[in-house]
Amino acid sequence: MADELELLRRANPVPVDGPHFGDGPLDHHAERHLNRLLHERPSPVRRRTRLAWGLAATTVVAALVSALLFTGQTTAPAIAAPRPLLVRADSTPVSLETLAERARAAAADGAPKLRKGTHVQAWSMGMSDDKPPITLPEERIVRWHADDSHTEIVVATDPRHPGRPVLSGEGELVEDGHVLSRQTYPPSWSDAPPQSPPPTDVTRLRAYLQEAGYSKTPLNIGELLDAVASLLDTWTLGARESATLARLLADTEGLRPLGQVTDRLGRRGQAYVYDGPGARRMLIMDPVTGAVLGLETTFTKAEPEYGVKAGDVMSYSAWMR
Amino acid sequence: MSNDEIFAAAYREHYWAVSRYVARRLDGRTSEVEEVVAEVFTVAWRRRADLPAAPLPWLYGVARNCLANAVRGYGRRRRLVDRLGNDETAHGRQIVDSPDTEAPGAWVHEALNRLSPADREVLRLTAWEELAVEEVAVALGCGRRAAAMRLHRARRRLRAEIDRMSPPTVSKERSHG
Repeated sequence: MADELELLRRANPVPVDGPHFGDGPLDHHAERHLNRLLHERPSPVRRRTRLAWGLAATTVVAALVSALLFTGQTTAPAIAAPRPLLVRADSTPVSLETLAERARAAAADGAPKLRKGTHVQAWSMGMSDDKPPITLPEERIVRWHADDSHTEIVVATDPRHPGRPVLSGEGELVEDGHVLSRQTYPPSWSDAPPQSPPPTDVTRLRAYLQEAGYSKTPLNIGELLDAVASLLDTWTLGARESATLARLLADTEGLRPLGQVTDRLGRRGQAYVYDGPGARRMLIMDPVTGAVLGLETTFTKAEPEYGVKAGDVMSYSAWMR
Repeated sequence: MSNDEIFAAAYREHYWAVSRYVARRLDGRTSEVEEVVAEVFTVAWRRRADLPAAPLPWLYGVARNCLANAVRGYGRRRRLVDRLGNDETAHGRQIVDSPDTEAPGAWVHEALNRLSPADREVLRLTAWEELAVEEVAVALGCGRRAAAMRLHRARRRLRAEIDRMSPPTVSKERSHG
């Protein structure tokens, strides 16, 4: 029998040649962080608001919410947790196959074009150890400049409650539209997905998303949807890219058409769901162009210990042009 | 080279090794690894004047401290993720079995988990990060002799746990040689 160190060596859960974290060039996240360290005064690492499922732990915020709830604030802040989207009962589901065909037809003239940068409104649930979870609404705009530098602006706002104060991820109640951060990043030389332009060929797009999802093995559907979100957090797709993505999704098993919804920005879309363990992912797509409009993740079972009920929205992103 | 250039070179060279170190200790939960690694290099950047000529064991030492904080801070979220069971690694999919069918993967992990955190770390640094005793000493912030002693004791205790829980086939194999 091999000695104990050899046995342990064989049980290495993340070997150098495994599917994740293998040696190679830095990915864009790593490049971006290095750029930031070298060119800016580093601040404490800011927890991403949308973590695995948008569960950002912010004890301070939760404490603040309690304070607000019990002190009778005169202007009701926009802190109510959004309800999940409702599918219209009388609507007929459109298959992804049909939608992919529509998207292909809509892309015939090639307009609109692909643009680097994004405009997204997101709601994500924050958790703390001893307070109920709360929802943080943020709008994020990323614009790229001619010299390959880019500016990211994050604003606290909830379009469902214009003008009302909003909770920010930093733990303060701020005015609607308050700029939480505005950063300009120096030119990045990373050309790894999702920093590189998305291809307009289904096979290549699938490989691109797999790389964007840090995986050396094909993505399962949950991972695929995460990778789609990271693509849309980086690029504003053109008609051709949207049509390719719609085709890829139509060729992927596991997304079920549900019917028509009106998203949180008031746009009409078709909903496609994937029921994973403990959570449901709902993709909202434009019924005419096939463009992905949003992605919603909801809990499908209650987690009383965490203050979570079945149907609570964990995270929601709505992408705009 | 300036401190900044030395840091950038170390970052590029060791980013993935540090990521693997962190992933191994977060059971490969990819969603959290990147965040902890960012913190490791942020701390390392602040201390870049201390960066030794062979920086990797030192970076592991920084990562060890960051992980301790991360584990404290993220405990709640991780428990929820585990409970929902949507994390592939929670099901052990990332455990790599050895080629033979008597693969030790899961039960070796179990044996390891029965040891103290200090024993576990010195063993993992040796077996998974493949550090020599001198490097283990840097990562743990102790002297070489102390590191060698810790490793020796930890190996003995791991051996005892493995013997206690070995599947019959393995015991049999062992009795033959």
